[in-house]
Amino acid sequence: MKLEAMAVRLPEVTDHPNRAPFTGVLTRVDEPSTKAPSGARGHRVILTRAAALAALPSLLGMAVDYAPSWDGHDARRKCGIITQADVEGPELQVAGYLFAKDFPEVERQMRQGLPGSMGMSWELADAHVEDMRAEIWTLTRATFTGAAILLREKAAYRHTSFELAAPRCRSNGWHERPAGLVHAGAIRHFREGADTAFGRTDRRKEPIWKARVASPWAR
Amino acid sequence: MESQSGEPLGALTQSMERMEARLEAAAALFERTAAMLEERENERSGEVRKIVAAVETGRETDLQRKLEAAEQQIAELRAQMETHGKSPRKTVPAATAQFLAKQGIALESVEAGTLDAALNGLSLEQRIAVKAQLLRAGALG
Repeated sequence: MKLEAMAVRLPEVTDHPNRAPFTGVLTRVDEPSTKAPSGARGHRVILTRAAALAALPSLLGMAVDYAPSWDGHDARRKCGIITQADVEGPELQVAGYLFAKDFPEVERQMRQGLPGSMGMSWELADAHVEDMRAEIWTLTRATFTGAAILLREKAAYRHTSFELAAPRCRSNGWHERPAGLVHAGAIRHFREGADTAFGRTDRRKEPIWKARVASPWAR
Repeated sequence: MESQSGEPLGALTQSMERMEARLEAAAALFERTAAMLEERENERSGEVRKIVAAVETGRETDLQRKLEAAEQQIAELRAQMETHGKSPRKTVPAATAQFLAKQGIALESVEAGTLDAALNGLSLEQRIAVKAQLLRAGALG
């Protein structure tokens, strides 16, 4: 398993009322998108692993936004921030905070929507396409300028996800010990004795994250 | 206010305004054409300014359709412009044409001296307006 990661470590604030940690799968690398993204003129796209890794620094500190209809981006509705990103296997995983107090409707949607119904979408600028005549565009270089939370069916990549940690953890869930992990709209599942915010299937990540906590900027 | 020949000044002003609006529209079309050419240049180099990993919504599809229609309109206008470039345009606003007809001037052969004499009864502003219209129409060399 190859893991490449970056993180921005924010000061921890106990009981912060406006930070709701989230984790998500932003996209998949080296795989064609399920549908053609907007702006790709009808072409499906492949974001190469190399391009994704090179663009990771541009992703940190970028905002997550949402559209009221949950079907796309709205750059003027920035409801959170990405603080961590890594490429693990075919997934580009992210974590960060939602501004839960400022955007209660977003948190409500996460908790009341159907489990697993929410996904994510990236926004890229200055992308370089290997061959624009190809049926599927291969993106070899890009800069992340933002991300959005949206319905999975509206995302160009079907296998994305967005999960909100619960109860509201006052710090980033990847660094602390939340009581459990809630999928979008799901009932809370508590894991007794859990050490991290990762679900049961992600326990294998725990040693890596413990090491990362000790050295947040290690790649 | 009316000119000595009975032509309402308002009609001339209105036709000038219409012409101004058409010129503005043409300028906007040229700007869009320039943007389109820039995009084509980017295509050759493989650069894409913005991609969003969300499926296009109905609004975007609608905008795309409108853009295609606008591009088609630009192509048609270009073709028209090329055609008009070969033979000078001989259309002037109806009010001006009527005024000139009353003075016995045919649009196909407007002579500077005859025109000056015909416009003698008009105010300076009206004379300028009529000459400007004739110049734009290509009727006055």
